[in-house]
Amino acid sequence: MQALAELKEQIRQALPDLDVVIGWQQGYDALHTSPLFIRSEEDIDKLVVNEFCVVNPATYLREMRGGKKVGLVLKGCDSRSVIQLLQEKLLKEEDLTIFGFGCNGVLNHTKLQARFGDIGFITSLENDGTNVTVEAGDKKETVPFTELCADKCLTCSYPNTLQCSHFAGEESAKQADSATDKALEDFEKLTMEERFTFWQDQMRRCIRCYACRNACPMCVCKDHCLANSREPKWLSEDVDVQNNFMFQLIHVMHLTGRCVECGECERACPMDIPIMLLRRKMAGIVRDVFAYNAGTNAEETPPLMCFKVEEPTIEERH
Amino acid sequence: MRIGVFICHCGSNIAATVDCPAVAEQAKGLQDVVFTTDTMYTCSEPGQNEIIEAIKEHKLDGVVVASCSPRMHEATFRRALERAGLNRYMLEMANIREHVSWIGKNKERNTVKAFELVSIAVAKLRNNNPLYANKFDVTKRVLVIGGGVAGIQAALDCADAGYQVVMVEREQSIGGKMAKIDKTFPTVDCSSCILGPKMVDVSQHENITLYALSEVEKIEGYVGNFDVQVRKKATYVNWDECTGCGACMEKCPSKKNIDKFNEGISKCTSINIPFPQAIPKKAAINPEGCLMLQKGKCGVCAKVCPTKCIDFEQKDEIITEKVGAVIAATGYDMFDHSVYKQYGAGQYPDVITSLQYERLMNASGPTGGHIIRPSDGKEPKKVVFVQCVGSRDPSVGRPYCSGFCCMYTAKQAILTKDHIPDSDSYVFYMDIRSPGKGYDEFTRRAQEQYGVQYLRGRVSMIYPKGDRYVVRGSDTLAGTQVEVEADLVVLAVGAESAKNAPALAEKMRISYDNYGFFMEAHPKLKPVETNTAGVYLAGSCVGPRDIPTSVGQGSAAAAKVMTLFSKDKLESDPQVSSVNTSRCIGCMKCATTCPFGAIKEVTDRAGNVKAEVIETVCQGCGICTVTCPQGAIQLQHFTDNQILAEVNALCQAQLDF
Repeated sequence: MQALAELKEQIRQALPDLDVVIGWQQGYDALHTSPLFIRSEEDIDKLVVNEFCVVNPATYLREMRGGKKVGLVLKGCDSRSVIQLLQEKLLKEEDLTIFGFGCNGVLNHTKLQARFGDIGFITSLENDGTNVTVEAGDKKETVPFTELCADKCLTCSYPNTLQCSHFAGEESAKQADSATDKALEDFEKLTMEERFTFWQDQMRRCIRCYACRNACPMCVCKDHCLANSREPKWLSEDVDVQNNFMFQLIHVMHLTGRCVECGECERACPMDIPIMLLRRKMAGIVRDVFAYNAGTNAEETPPLMCFKVEEPTIEERH
Repeated sequence: MRIGVFICHCGSNIAATVDCPAVAEQAKGLQDVVFTTDTMYTCSEPGQNEIIEAIKEHKLDGVVVASCSPRMHEATFRRALERAGLNRYMLEMANIREHVSWIGKNKERNTVKAFELVSIAVAKLRNNNPLYANKFDVTKRVLVIGGGVAGIQAALDCADAGYQVVMVEREQSIGGKMAKIDKTFPTVDCSSCILGPKMVDVSQHENITLYALSEVEKIEGYVGNFDVQVRKKATYVNWDECTGCGACMEKCPSKKNIDKFNEGISKCTSINIPFPQAIPKKAAINPEGCLMLQKGKCGVCAKVCPTKCIDFEQKDEIITEKVGAVIAATGYDMFDHSVYKQYGAGQYPDVITSLQYERLMNASGPTGGHIIRPSDGKEPKKVVFVQCVGSRDPSVGRPYCSGFCCMYTAKQAILTKDHIPDSDSYVFYMDIRSPGKGYDEFTRRAQEQYGVQYLRGRVSMIYPKGDRYVVRGSDTLAGTQVEVEADLVVLAVGAESAKNAPALAEKMRISYDNYGFFMEAHPKLKPVETNTAGVYLAGSCVGPRDIPTSVGQGSAAAAKVMTLFSKDKLESDPQVSSVNTSRCIGCMKCATTCPFGAIKEVTDRAGNVKAEVIETVCQGCGICTVTCPQGAIQLQHFTDNQILAEVNALCQAQLDF
């Protein structure tokens, strides 16, 4: 792959000035990648860039706050979380080197599993960008990419890494398949009672493992998360519908005007709870009210990080 | 904890629609409540004594009073607690009057709601902690913004009381609108004769520092300790040297500048002293008209100036002043009548505003006090006054009454007769608003003694006919349309908020209404205070005011400042935010959202960034507390735990009565 070779060369040149470069490497099988922390020349060749590079490397940045020079290989969606953190002044631009490339979308393991059974039985997978041909056991099937890709890729309008220091390969010309999220549209067709029942059922399944929180690149509170606090005490440790839902709503509120919809929370959820619905809803509200898209412009002030007597986008006086 | 609950009947205000004894009885079952009672008037002396006795007898360490809005009596009950030896913040109030008894008639449901509010208050009180105020120093200097009659009065009163005053005036001279007026109603005494000495007092008073042609750039800080930045605009004249001799004005070749002081009815030179009684009596150059500043050649003024004080290189200057209080007396502006197309949209030369007419009548005005038509300089024999131009007219966004136009129109009609005995005056009015000492008698005198024709109705149209104007309107008392031919038409334009008043309000962190007038802390009981401690109001910046009211308010605001300055130390409100540094991750989101700049970044001993609240700057708005994702910053007396306890109490199962 042209982009991969270029990326490796760019990283090779930049590495002497960096403490670490975070990217992806081959995971325990062909269908998985795991995070790669490049600290020496030998590590560079382990780098892979493919449709299984689902993890957002920006998630590891919160551990790196303070002085370290970090390089990041980022998809377009991942780069938005870095920009948002820059906007919030939680990162310093001079500490970061971003290696960008054009992304054509990533696959969703849950969808693969739903379609072909246990992923371990998949013997080969070919992706030509529009169709995915999968061999599992004695079956061979060709499925449109859009049926197997991550939900975020369907509405993605940032396939190329934003504000990167280096860009490798050709830009992706991938277009969003639709402007609005179908799952959210379908959900909003439900009545209020139906929605409430839906969330009660979902929240009953939540085991409060906090994987969603730990995978979120925007959750920067580390050990001081409100969910674990006794003073103030917003939540009890009980794993019940009420406390689980409260936690999820607190998480969404804390992401208001910050969430870049990278989808890491939902991907990390071992119970496959569709919590991205809540985040997409909130991001939509922020777009409507403040005309703001999180993490797309490092110069912009996030709407909830300033005080204005009157918001230019809100009609307050009549 | 031992909590006492007092349910007030407020006579029949509450008791008529709430079963107060039942609420008191039910409240006995709430956690930590050891004493409950219901009283006729808890705020009365026996009511307060009952609280004090109950605290002593039952060893209470917290009190809930269910009565009216805390805006009414929170201070009353806090003092009662302090008299009994409790901390004032161990009081909670449940508003069962405005929130319950006055808004619902169903006694059963009202009683349930009253009990719910009481249980919320008890739940909060169980999470309350005693809070203590800190003391801080007061800078005993006052900033007066605006040098009109209200500002002058406020400044003189404060200065006479021995306090340093900084007065900032936007125009070249103080005096405001009153300096432009010829005579004042209802006494018809000369405006500049009564204002002039006060203006001189301002310039001579050793305690007053006057910055004319200056504007307030920035106000930071808090009551007792404001830091003010004043932009002193370039006058191109060194005012320390200028004697106000006027030699420069005589020789200045650029004579076609619009004379702002004379409301545009005459022209003036580029270097100018606006009027003979101006304070300070110093010349200033209007850079737009000055040939030297525009084209680089002329400099005649510099040649003729006997003190050589002309300085074409002068720049705006920023001056910093420390003050403890601010009085805003920024006045008003006249309504721009050009929106009234039917009145000629400001295009007819002899359709003028009342303030322009005032300058025509004024002996120190451009005509030396001779009333003439601006178009041909002839003496008008028939003058029509049109009232409510830009007042009481929702169609131009001015639904309010400007208050003083009825009176000044009557005065101008009377003076017209004095100036031109063979003239006739007509007044088109909607209603005559003359509620003041001697005011109604004055308007009657205009009609009865001076023969001014009052026609009740609005004017629909003014149009030229020959060299005169036809004023067409309705006479609603006669039920007919009337047309009056006039030599001169005077539009009694209303008052509107001063230009940039909202921007200044935001600098002072006070509120303003839809029209840009500043908001009082309470329209009846706190007419010169604002919701920002240490900022006071006087005169027409609050709404249209006549001279006596403006002067009264100037003195009132000064009295408030003196009250503030009578203490050497002020007590800070402990209901401010505070940071739990062990929870703070130093993201500083609190600082970016704080409207008051009350949060600063500090570094702890381990080198970690932490937020710190400047207690005296914090206004307790709570924006930081909802911004902080870790809940590390908490507003004292409104902590997350206190509010969560209230929510939990509200969500408990309802009780049956």
